[in-house]
Amino acid sequence: MNAIEVTNLSKTYPGGVEAVKGVDFDVAAGEVFGLLGPNGAGKSTTVGMLTTTIQPTTGSARLAGFDVAEEPLDARRVSSVVFQESVVDRSLTGRRNLEIHARLWGGEPREAAAWIDELAGTFGLADLIDRPAGTYSGGQRRRLEIARALVSHPRVLFLDEPTVGLDPRIRAELLELIAGLRSRSELTVLLTTHYLEEAEQLCDRVAIIHAGRIVALDTPAALLAGLGRQLVEIRVEGSVNSALSSLRDRGVAGEDAFAVGSRVTVPLHEHSSGEAIAAIHDLGLAEAITAREPTLDDVYLRLTGDSLAVAA
Amino acid sequence: MSTAEIAIHVPRARRRALGPLATLARRRFQLTARTPRELFVPLLTPIMFALVIAPALKAALHTDASYESFVAIGTVGLLIPLNTMFAGLSVIVDRISGAQPELLTAPIPRGLLVVGNLVVALAITALQVGVLIAVAVARGIHFNATGTGILWFVAAAVLFTVGMYGLAEILANRVPRQEEYIARVPAIAILPWFLAGALFPITALPGFLTWVAKFLPLTHGLALMRYGLLQDASGLHAVWGQGSTTTMAALSLAVVGCFALLLTAASIRVFSRSAVR
Repeated sequence: MNAIEVTNLSKTYPGGVEAVKGVDFDVAAGEVFGLLGPNGAGKSTTVGMLTTTIQPTTGSARLAGFDVAEEPLDARRVSSVVFQESVVDRSLTGRRNLEIHARLWGGEPREAAAWIDELAGTFGLADLIDRPAGTYSGGQRRRLEIARALVSHPRVLFLDEPTVGLDPRIRAELLELIAGLRSRSELTVLLTTHYLEEAEQLCDRVAIIHAGRIVALDTPAALLAGLGRQLVEIRVEGSVNSALSSLRDRGVAGEDAFAVGSRVTVPLHEHSSGEAIAAIHDLGLAEAITAREPTLDDVYLRLTGDSLAVAA
Repeated sequence: MSTAEIAIHVPRARRRALGPLATLARRRFQLTARTPRELFVPLLTPIMFALVIAPALKAALHTDASYESFVAIGTVGLLIPLNTMFAGLSVIVDRISGAQPELLTAPIPRGLLVVGNLVVALAITALQVGVLIAVAVARGIHFNATGTGILWFVAAAVLFTVGMYGLAEILANRVPRQEEYIARVPAIAILPWFLAGALFPITALPGFLTWVAKFLPLTHGLALMRYGLLQDASGLHAVWGQGSTTTMAALSLAVVGCFALLLTAASIRVFSRSAVR
C-alpha cells in the first residue's frame, strides 16, 4: 500500500482561482517525495488538502489508506505537518509544545515524556527544551517543530518549505537533520520546496509543479538525465528562435534545446561541450557561451519557460 | 547536532474521551496565565462600578444601600461580556501567531478546540465573578442569598457566560484582525449592558427600549442573578409581568439557556467552517 495516494486532486478557491488543477501522484511507504515549484505553484494548497485544512474541489487523496475527506481523523492521526510559517505556542516551553502534540495524537504520557527527551537530544534541543519557545532562534524553533511533528510517530510527515527564511548555516544543519529522517524506512516524507538543491539532496522522487499542474515526475537523476550529461548555454545577440533553428540545422542542438529570453540552452547527448562550443563559434551566433552540468532548474526552465529561482 | 536517527513506531490508537479536551483546556489556561491582561483587565471596570461609581450614585441620587447591591449584580453583567470578549481575542492571536494551524491537523473533532477555550473562559469568569463579589462584600455591600438562590445565580451566570463566549468565538472567526475585533467589542459587550437593567430597572427606559431590553439575554441573566443573590424578583416581573416567581425565573433561565445553546452550536459551526478553506 502506498503511504500517499493522490488522484485528480484539484482546488478552486472562491473567486475562481484554480490553485491546483487535477494532480495525480503516489508516494511509497518510506519514500521521500518532493513537490518542487515556485511560490504560488500549488504546493502548499496540495499539502493543505492532504492535511485536511483545505477542502478539495475534486479528486481524492489517501494517507496510509485513509481517505482525507471521508476519514479525516484517521488521516490526521497517521500524519504530522511542519508548516511553512513558524507555528508554536511561544509562551509555552518547548517541552510543553511537544507534550500537547503527543497528548492530542493519543500518546501515553510516560512513554511520550521519554520520547520527547530522546527527540530533544537528537535535535540538539536538550538544553533548551524547558525554555519558552519564544526565546528560541529561528533555526532552533524549526528543529522544535520537526521534533514536535515526530512526537506522534507519524507514518506520513509533511514538510512545507521547512527551510524558508533560515540563514545558510542553519539551513544546511536542518537539511542534514531532515536527511537523517530518510534512514528510517517506516516514515514517508512529503517535502515541498522551491530550492533545487533541497530536492536533489533529499528526495527519492520529485514532482515539478507549475501553475497547479505536475509537469514532470521522476527521480532527480532521471529528470536530469533527460538533459544529457552536459549542456551549453548561449547568450544570443539577435533572434533566439533563428539561432535555435541554426543550431538544430547544424546538428548541434536536438529537439530538447530551448530558448528563454536571450538565452538558448542546448542539452548535449552526443557531442562533447568542446565540439558544441566550436560549432557555435563557427555559426557566429553567441555573445557568450557557458558549458555546465544540468540542474533541476534547467528541467523546470525547459518545461515551463521560466526559471525556478526567478519564479520563486 | 548529530544526524537524526529516529525510530518510527506504529501510532497507538489510544483515545480517552476527555483527554484531548483536558489537553486543550490546559493549554489555553497556560497561555492565558502568561497573559495577565486577560485575567485582570476585564475586572477593572466592574470593580470600579461596584466600589466607586455605585456608592457615588447612591449618595448623589439619595438612594438606599440596596442600590449598591443592585449595581454590584449589574456589574457582573459587564464583567462577563468583557471577560468573554477578551477570551475571544486570544482566538485571533492563536490563529495569527499561535499554534492553531497545528491544532487543526490534530486527530480530534475541531469543535473540541472551541469547547476547550470555552472551559477556560468559564473558569476564569467564575474566578473573576467570585473576586468581584468578594470585593463587594468586603466593601460592605449586602447580599441576601439562600442555597436555592445561589443555584439560580450560578445557572444564570454560567449559561450567560457560555452564550457570550460563543458570540466572542463567532466574532473572532469572522474578523481577520485584532483591531477589527476590538472595534466591535463596545457594541457587543457594553451597549446591551446599559439597556439590560444593570444600573436601573428596564421599566425606567423609554417604552420601545423596554421591549428591546426584554429580548436581551443579559436582561434575563441579570434578573435571575438578582433573584438569586438579592431575593429581588422585580427584574423578572419587569420582563414577564405578573405570575409565579419560580415560573418567571424558569422562563428566563430557558431564554439564557437557549442563548447559550444556540451561540455555542453556531460558534462550533463557524469555527469548523472557517478552519477549512
